[in-house]
Amino acid sequence: MARYQEGDFAAATVLIEGISPQLHRFFVAQFASRTDADDLLQETWLRIHRVRHTYRPGEPVLPWFYAIARHVRVDHYRKTMRTRAHEQRLEGISAAAATASGKSGQADDLGDLLAPLPESQREVVEMLKVAGMSLEEVARATSSSVGSVKQKVHRAYRKLRETMNAMGSGKGQGGRQS
Amino acid sequence: MTDREIDEALERIAQTPHELESALLGRIADSIKSSLRPVRPLLPTWILACGLALICVAVALAGAARAGFYGIEKMGLLQRALIFPMLGILVWVAGTEFVNEMIPGSRRRLSPGALLAMASVVLVGVFALLFRDYRTEHFISAGIVCLLTGLLHAVPAALLCWLVLRRGFAVNSVHAALVAGTLAGMAGVGVLELHCANFQALHVLVWHTAVVPLSGAAGALVAWALRLRIGSSGRERRVPQ
Repeated sequence: MARYQEGDFAAATVLIEGISPQLHRFFVAQFASRTDADDLLQETWLRIHRVRHTYRPGEPVLPWFYAIARHVRVDHYRKTMRTRAHEQRLEGISAAAATASGKSGQADDLGDLLAPLPESQREVVEMLKVAGMSLEEVARATSSSVGSVKQKVHRAYRKLRETMNAMGSGKGQGGRQS
Repeated sequence: MTDREIDEALERIAQTPHELESALLGRIADSIKSSLRPVRPLLPTWILACGLALICVAVALAGAARAGFYGIEKMGLLQRALIFPMLGILVWVAGTEFVNEMIPGSRRRLSPGALLAMASVVLVGVFALLFRDYRTEHFISAGIVCLLTGLLHAVPAALLCWLVLRRGFAVNSVHAALVAGTLAGMAGVGVLELHCANFQALHVLVWHTAVVPLSGAAGALVAWALRLRIGSSGRERRVPQ
């Protein structure tokens, strides 16, 4: 990261190749289609590039990347909502099909497994259990406290247990929903 | 299904490679190549927080120098010894939080709402302890003058603080502006404590303290309006395909 800040293109390429799959998976886990996730990833890298001076060497790097990725995702969500509202006003019909809400085309195991969870719990579980971040890092990335992260994970697991048990799909599938 | 099974399922997913098209990665790399120049990382948090604290002190002193140091002259030793160090600590805490808001992935010790509530409660507590004159002469008229004075001095403090952190990046602009407003409100309270010689308890408790939440709320409102405006302009950037 320090070399990227110094303008080293090779270091930037290594970072892009190393971090992008994690960020892409993060977007897919948030119900983005693969195409939307591609767009969000590109947008995230543009943002990262523009504010790369805000990373300070010595600080954990993953929370910095994920904080920016979350920001891009929230922006995208707001934009989608505005587009949807605008189209509904113009056409007076349900614009569900036309607004590319990002919920279509999702065919990822992670997305399927975390589907019953609300967004705030889903992102925390993804960062903690899939991206392998520590509680402290997740708290930094989500601008919250470690206690709040623990609480979200606890609630997420309870919800997942309840949903899986209700669906009776726990046998041998590792908790995947159909 | 147990927690262990959920963990195992997530672990399996984590171990599955998430492949991306090399063309996509290539496009991203190309898009940043042309503007890849060395950048200077932001200064450490404590230096930036010192800068913000100095701005607040400078605004408070400048405001009081213009209007007169009647308040501090009338204060007793205990009042001086408690009020100004308390304001200094609050400014330091708010300044540190503002720096953290402007740097993605920073550790947050307090949420913006908790910071605002804490600052207001501490001010009310200290003022209630130190001011015991419970008369309410000219409560509204004198109060509005003080409130406006405090808020008017909070504006330049907020602008200067924003200038110091203009290279930062707020992942939540409303939160950042709420913290900036709280910090700037503290500068406004500083002006009032240095200048205002009206030591009626209710006047100080209500009108002096109100500068902080109102300044914080104003900051958040401005950021929210700006976000709506920027959002509705439909700015969108994409990597060229």
